[in-house]
Amino acid sequence: MTRPILSIDDLNTAFKVGGEWRNVIRDVTFDIAERETVAVVGESGSGKSVTAMSIMRLLGPNARSTGRIEFEGQDLLSLPMDLMQHIRGNRIGMIFQEPMTSLNPVLKIGDQITEVLMQHRGMDQGKARAEAVRLLDKVRIPSAQARLNEYPMSFSGGMRQRVVIAIALACEPKLLIADEPTTALDVTIQAQILELIKTLQQEEGMSVLFITHDMGVVAEISDRTVVMYRGDIVEADTTERIFRDAAHPYTRALLSAVPQLGSMAGEPRPLRFPIVDMRTGEAQPVKPTADTVRTDEAPILKVDHLVTRFPVRKGILQRTVGNIHAVEDVSFELRKGETLSLVGESGCGKSTTGRSIIRLTDLTSGSVTISGRDVASASKTELASIRRDAQMIFQDPFESLNPRMRVGDAIAEPMVTHGLVNRADARQRVGKLLEQVGLSPAMADRFPHEFSGGQRQRVCIARALALDPKLIVADESVSALDVSIKAQVINLMLDLQEQLGLGYLFISHDMAVVERISHRVAVMYLGEIVEIGPRQAVFENPQHPYTRKLMSAVPIADPTRRRVRNISNDEIRSPYHDAGYTPAPLHYQEVSAGHFVQMQAVEKAA
Amino acid sequence: MSSYLFSRVIQTIVTLFVMSLLVFVGLYLVGNPVDVLLSSSATPAERLEVIQAFGLDRPVWEQYFVFLGKALTGDLGNSFVFNQPALDLILQRMPATLELAFVALVMALVLGIPLGIYAGLKPHSLVSKSIMTFSILGFSLPTFWIGLIMIMVFSVQLGWLPASGRGQTVELLGVPVSFLTWDGLSHLILPAFNLALFKISLVIRLTRAGVMEVMQLDFVRFARAKGMPESRILRVHVLKNTLIPLITVIGLELGSLIAFAVVTETIFAWPGMGKLIIDSIAVLDRPVVLAYLMITVIMFSVINLVVDILYSVVDPRVRLEGGSR
Repeated sequence: MTRPILSIDDLNTAFKVGGEWRNVIRDVTFDIAERETVAVVGESGSGKSVTAMSIMRLLGPNARSTGRIEFEGQDLLSLPMDLMQHIRGNRIGMIFQEPMTSLNPVLKIGDQITEVLMQHRGMDQGKARAEAVRLLDKVRIPSAQARLNEYPMSFSGGMRQRVVIAIALACEPKLLIADEPTTALDVTIQAQILELIKTLQQEEGMSVLFITHDMGVVAEISDRTVVMYRGDIVEADTTERIFRDAAHPYTRALLSAVPQLGSMAGEPRPLRFPIVDMRTGEAQPVKPTADTVRTDEAPILKVDHLVTRFPVRKGILQRTVGNIHAVEDVSFELRKGETLSLVGESGCGKSTTGRSIIRLTDLTSGSVTISGRDVASASKTELASIRRDAQMIFQDPFESLNPRMRVGDAIAEPMVTHGLVNRADARQRVGKLLEQVGLSPAMADRFPHEFSGGQRQRVCIARALALDPKLIVADESVSALDVSIKAQVINLMLDLQEQLGLGYLFISHDMAVVERISHRVAVMYLGEIVEIGPRQAVFENPQHPYTRKLMSAVPIADPTRRRVRNISNDEIRSPYHDAGYTPAPLHYQEVSAGHFVQMQAVEKAA
Repeated sequence: MSSYLFSRVIQTIVTLFVMSLLVFVGLYLVGNPVDVLLSSSATPAERLEVIQAFGLDRPVWEQYFVFLGKALTGDLGNSFVFNQPALDLILQRMPATLELAFVALVMALVLGIPLGIYAGLKPHSLVSKSIMTFSILGFSLPTFWIGLIMIMVFSVQLGWLPASGRGQTVELLGVPVSFLTWDGLSHLILPAFNLALFKISLVIRLTRAGVMEVMQLDFVRFARAKGMPESRILRVHVLKNTLIPLITVIGLELGSLIAFAVVTETIFAWPGMGKLIIDSIAVLDRPVVLAYLMITVIMFSVINLVVDILYSVVDPRVRLEGGSR
């Protein structure tokens, strides 16, 4: 083997917390060979980002690293700062997770690229600009010349990440460190960026250190994989071997919790995740899921030609000049005990649909009926009583709980507000609810910050259950959770569905999770449902081009199934239309029983 | 852009109208200027004559319409006291106040921004802590007291700087200014610094908070990962972002510097318009008070407009939009 390009030896990084040094990563040791891609994977708090930042020495005065990081024959940790600055951005490029905040909002894109070239390559302004155009071309940004003078705000998230990549690669570095570069992006955009990184790596012959939490991404991109857990490396091997027979129980637990698109073929009902013990590596057998869908009763939720538009106003008189067509002619039904998933990318209107259903957002037209009662025309008191039947769980468990309220009080609040129980009974009921979601009743006196993310989401579920709802709208409720926690919360949701016969409207961008949990699936694009039907039918026989595009973009957590993909550079389109625009009526075609696909006008094909 | 300007002018006119109405009615309710102006020995006949001359015998709404009609032709009425056009009285004294305010503003920026940046970059150093202590003092000590202490120390005891007046002035574009002569400059330093003290403290705090906030942001970390030297990160990446909130506050503060320089002008006997307005309010000299406030409103509007335009220059995310697209 040739000499590694980067060699990390016994790296320890500590942070100063309250006057005390606390180790965040311990004895991290691994190499990256020339042209090799190494993925560092782990859940939040595993120290994977700290490792990346330690290499670049970006952690600031509150952190200190010991050990050796050898790059091109130099120990980075003992390098004086001015020489380190010569390495950063020149020999080692870095990209971060958030493309929206990585670029300075008040500087033109062009200047942000040319400053690197002028700094490290000693180019003058004119030469650097010419080079910047070439770089933007290289990351497939159309009409590069013109876009140099634009500010970051006129670029979408995916385009910004391309600019960031162009900057990181400007000086042809030997190593690219990518810290969760696609986590904040939509799945089709993620596929584009991954493809771009792979292509550029081959063109430039550089090595890549790829930090991620997503096993699917790891399988797609890396040659070797380093698994981290709470600051330690638990396992490091070739990616194939990690996925085929991982040695460490934690790795196995992590892999078993990863939802895999296509793993549900032939499975008629939702399936729980196997939970693997992190110490022994042994899996508990998966309980078969009962058939919960009550086809004999009337649907609990009926959505009929729902339209929600947000007017865009301009000028002194605040005239409406156009509308954002967030939800356009959406119809579906949901039965007791059934899970219908709304899936799509950002801006497709899936969340607005969820909010419109319980009228957190006012609907423009159409009707929504929950347990036979009309939501659109309901008065304030009627609406309050309808909402007892329909509760919502949000994405971010950190923000949806009041930090100054004990969780017991938070769970009791809806019951007390609706006058269902007195204070004393409320306490008992809270205890029961906490048990139901897998927490202990004694936790009622704690504050939200004393819980982990997954526990908080359980508290949010308990709060939603407090009013005995029939319908729960879960808006990206598991998206912010780590994989292993995500699997547990989904299992809990399936348990509750069996016990209580809940109907879920599950809103998510994650195709693999959707496949695992749903009975039926509706794919949304630009505010419209393009395809709806039983999960098996939609996933095994997708009809609409957009559904197919979405599915082919999902990374598959299996390195042996790597595909060569043809990925277009399309952006996600905007649902904005000028005032007076009337969308063409939608027509659906029934492919098989209950499986409807929007008939495509030619220009609509994604 | 032109429609944006147009809507701003309309807003200013509406503000002027509402303000004049409030002041008119307010002063009418407070008292009768004739009672204050005339000595108690004046005969009823003399009294009546004065009332008629001022037009005070007519109902208040009629007085207001007369005022409005004249104001549209640019005539804001004659001062009750000086019997000169109110506008002229104010314009005579305005250059002195403007000069004082601008010099104070320059001081606030030139001293405040560098000190604020330093305190933001090294929040735990001893120097930073001293800077912050200074700014607390600047905020909390009353202007008049500091003014008096400054006169005592620098004029009376040390004898370095004069305590009152404007000193020698020269004409610049037809306007008398002090800062171009040594004598004038020496007269300017104490009152300007006195007036600036509060603003220096404000600018220090705003700059420090801005720098501390921006230094934490992702794009600063990314700039470091690009290998940019710290000096460039500060000059290019941090400073421009810090300026955005600063511009808004400074704009508003400039207005208040001009309009409310009263205390400093009184202490240092600075011949500006602050002194005039205090005297005019005391004797209910309605035309002068009205004219002064109208000029202030226009000045605030212009400053705000300049701030908005500057804002859109510094921050590309801000777009100026008016009537239509």
